[in-house]
Amino acid sequence: MTNQTRLTHLLRWLALSALLFWLLLPLIPLLIWSFAFRWPFPLLLPESWSLRAWQIAFSARSGMLAALWNSLVIAVAVTLVSMLVSIPAGRAMGMHRFRGKRVVEFLLLAPTIVPPLAVVLGIHVLFIRYGLADTRLGVMLVHLSPIMPYAVLVMAGVFANYNPEYEEQARSLGAGPLRTFWYVTLPAIFPGMMVAGLFAFLISWSQYITTLLIGGGFIKTLPILLFAVAGANDTALTAAISIIFVIPALLLLLLTARYLTGEDAAAGGFGRV
Amino acid sequence: MPRPVALDGCEFDMTQVVLTDLTKKYLGATAPAVDRLNLECESGRLHALLGPSGCGKTTTMKMIAGLLKPNSGDIAFDGASVLHTPAERRGAVMVFQNYLLFPYMSVGENVGFGLKMRGVDKQTIRRRVAEMLELVRLPGIEARRPKQLSGGQQQRVALARALIVQPKVLLLDEPLSNLDAHLRDEMRELIRTIQQQMNITTIFVTHDQEEAVVLADRIALMFDGVLHQVDAPQRFYDGPVSARVARFFGGANFLPGQMHNGQFESRLGCFAVGQGAVLNGPALLTIRPEAIQLCAAESGSQQKNHLPGRIISRLYTGANTRVKVQVNEFTLTVIADPHAVDAARTGDMVTLYLAPERLWTLPIESP
Amino acid sequence: MERLRPYLMLSPALLIIMLFFLGGLGVGLMRSLNYMPIIGLTEPNLDAYVGILTDRTFLRSLGLTLYIAIASTAISMTLAVASGLLLRRSFRGKQVMTFLFQLNLPIPHIVGAIGILFLFTQGGFLARAAHAVHLIEQPADFPALVFDRYAIGIIAEYVWKEIPFIGVVVLAILQAVGDEYEALAQTLGANRWQRFRHVLLPLILPGVLSVSVIVLAFTLGAYEIPFMLGRSFPQALPVLAVRSYTDPDLNQRPQAMAMAIVITVFSTLLILAYMELSRRIVRKE
Repeated sequence: MTNQTRLTHLLRWLALSALLFWLLLPLIPLLIWSFAFRWPFPLLLPESWSLRAWQIAFSARSGMLAALWNSLVIAVAVTLVSMLVSIPAGRAMGMHRFRGKRVVEFLLLAPTIVPPLAVVLGIHVLFIRYGLADTRLGVMLVHLSPIMPYAVLVMAGVFANYNPEYEEQARSLGAGPLRTFWYVTLPAIFPGMMVAGLFAFLISWSQYITTLLIGGGFIKTLPILLFAVAGANDTALTAAISIIFVIPALLLLLLTARYLTGEDAAAGGFGRV
Repeated sequence: MPRPVALDGCEFDMTQVVLTDLTKKYLGATAPAVDRLNLECESGRLHALLGPSGCGKTTTMKMIAGLLKPNSGDIAFDGASVLHTPAERRGAVMVFQNYLLFPYMSVGENVGFGLKMRGVDKQTIRRRVAEMLELVRLPGIEARRPKQLSGGQQQRVALARALIVQPKVLLLDEPLSNLDAHLRDEMRELIRTIQQQMNITTIFVTHDQEEAVVLADRIALMFDGVLHQVDAPQRFYDGPVSARVARFFGGANFLPGQMHNGQFESRLGCFAVGQGAVLNGPALLTIRPEAIQLCAAESGSQQKNHLPGRIISRLYTGANTRVKVQVNEFTLTVIADPHAVDAARTGDMVTLYLAPERLWTLPIESP
Repeated sequence: MERLRPYLMLSPALLIIMLFFLGGLGVGLMRSLNYMPIIGLTEPNLDAYVGILTDRTFLRSLGLTLYIAIASTAISMTLAVASGLLLRRSFRGKQVMTFLFQLNLPIPHIVGAIGILFLFTQGGFLARAAHAVHLIEQPADFPALVFDRYAIGIIAEYVWKEIPFIGVVVLAILQAVGDEYEALAQTLGANRWQRFRHVLLPLILPGVLSVSVIVLAFTLGAYEIPFMLGRSFPQALPVLAVRSYTDPDLNQRPQAMAMAIVITVFSTLLILAYMELSRRIVRKE
């Protein structure tokens, strides 16, 4: 190795380390704080450690477990609906040519440009009228529209590269429509479905203002709880609940990471989390 | 030979390329991709680096271009090592197989790219771009986008983009492979014309022996990172150095036996052999399918170099007919003129004539 | 029948968009115009818009929001391209580094904001580190990095979160582009800088610009980050809008809706301008 390439390597390594340090840095105080008991300024590490915050977090009075359950139910339901809706929509966008496709495309993409806040105020007015405000169903419905562009985009990408002749082959070998879907279509689009599902879950999981306004404070999800706790000046508890909030999202990413190719134009879903 | 002048202000110095013990081993690979390669490419000629995919020919070309560093060995242009000259100053320009026209530039900007990198003024660039497009017979298409061109046109633009910088060595990656049959002839002729007009040392790699034969002055054949034979195209048919080479050039029939005083002794009898790589001792006789003459059964199978056989299959391929003939336990493939074997039927007896001057002996390969 | 199929397949998705997106936007627009026949408002007017556009508070919020969005997007994009280039070549530890690089992709912004808060406050982690190396004596000596004039905390959170987001897309684009274009340019005589400027940049720019549109839109409309890390005056527009909407004085609601519409308009305009600009840049390349 010449001196110059060695220097280039060193510089690259230094720059990357600085970058990663910055990317991981905000997570470090969270971890430490959640186990801290007393941590006065200017100590770099806590004076005394404890599991107090974790105990409170998992006790009934913190409401964490209830909020976790709420968040999970909402996110899972929203994810399932999004996947069911985006499979046919993605197929239409990826494989069919039809009149007005550009308009449809524009409509589907519009929620990426318009902030959810601008939409949710009007929806709130509607939902109050139709009795959906302050309900879990209302919250689920309002989570759907920011997910749609990414879920449909992922599935459209999958179907754009999908060869329908496999289905014709299966049909000609005697499989009915349902079995064709189950044995031919589903395995082919499964990786894409996982990616669409990942985005749907993560986007729903991280919703705050939509849940707050439509749920009216009655539907307590983890982000709602986290905000309340963060305002209540218990740093350790805030840290612990933050970590609890992050873990399912991280786990889900690890489970689905192998389906993420990165080249999905729709990796965009992460931009909404 | 007087130094030719191709175009106004566009003269090429001829460059001789010499590769000495060139070796490249990729990180983590067990065998070297290119193993102690020695090759001399005469200046101003068209050379083919031929071999199956993965034989190291592209690696060799990238090393000549300066895009890969060899582990050992040397590359010299006109006697001076260029190992430490970075690609951008080496003057060996590559034309990639998939052309790689910059999609965000017009054709004119693509062709002028190399001159722009050298800080040449716009006026000159414009003039030279026009000349180059003329040279590749696409005059006046400066304003078009690469997307608007056919594959053949894109390749010619890529060629113009390479030639405009007056390279010392022009490197072409599979120049004909991506083209339809009718475009191949046109492109081959264009490359030959330009190459001769400019007298520019050109090296191209290909996996297609036909492409190498029709285009190159000399062919260097590589297998598994090792150079096997460097010769004029015709020699690969008439005088291959090994059965592997012979097979690569169109599957000959092989017959094991012994050479003795110009006679080849085998289980099918004794043959007069004009030449060969082995003149005495154990040898493999190669008989090219097109070198065998099919005669009627009664035309004296007892004569020298005549063999009796039975037709076991025939396949009409349009331009010729491939006939398989059983001679004792051997099956020989014969490529014959369809009209000559019109009447022959499967099961018919025939006589094969093997002309001594078309026979060639090879060393027996260790398995 | 066959011609109707794509529409049929799209109908559930479009229904969701119509009801829960266009519906919300439409009602918001009507309400902002004081037009709501259901509750007896049948005379649309522009009072709410006149009200907010003549309000200094609103104008300062708008300015702040645009500043935050543009600064965050520009910084994230630049650093993401740089990190994509750094992570692109193979080197020892690349896999680990790439994994860590993508780690915060699924971490919600709220958690990022809390992390930044713990890091940046005057009693926070950085202040303690500064004390440890004798840069400051007491918390008050530490510069205000959250709830601050220049919205440093907010921008820092966005940059922290968006670098990996844009970076992952940059890496994917780089992989798709490959390195043959650069190799080719090199044999044609382009040096390192020229290869970046004339080959790589124009190749990756369209993709990078289109993904940063998502970032731009997000930073314009996000609520929780400026709420948590921003000053109480001026507030980012989404924060101001929610405050007006939840105000006990119901007369403020049309103004809140008008603000939401203004955010939408600005978001759309900014993105259109941005796309036009990027198209020009790309064409110029």
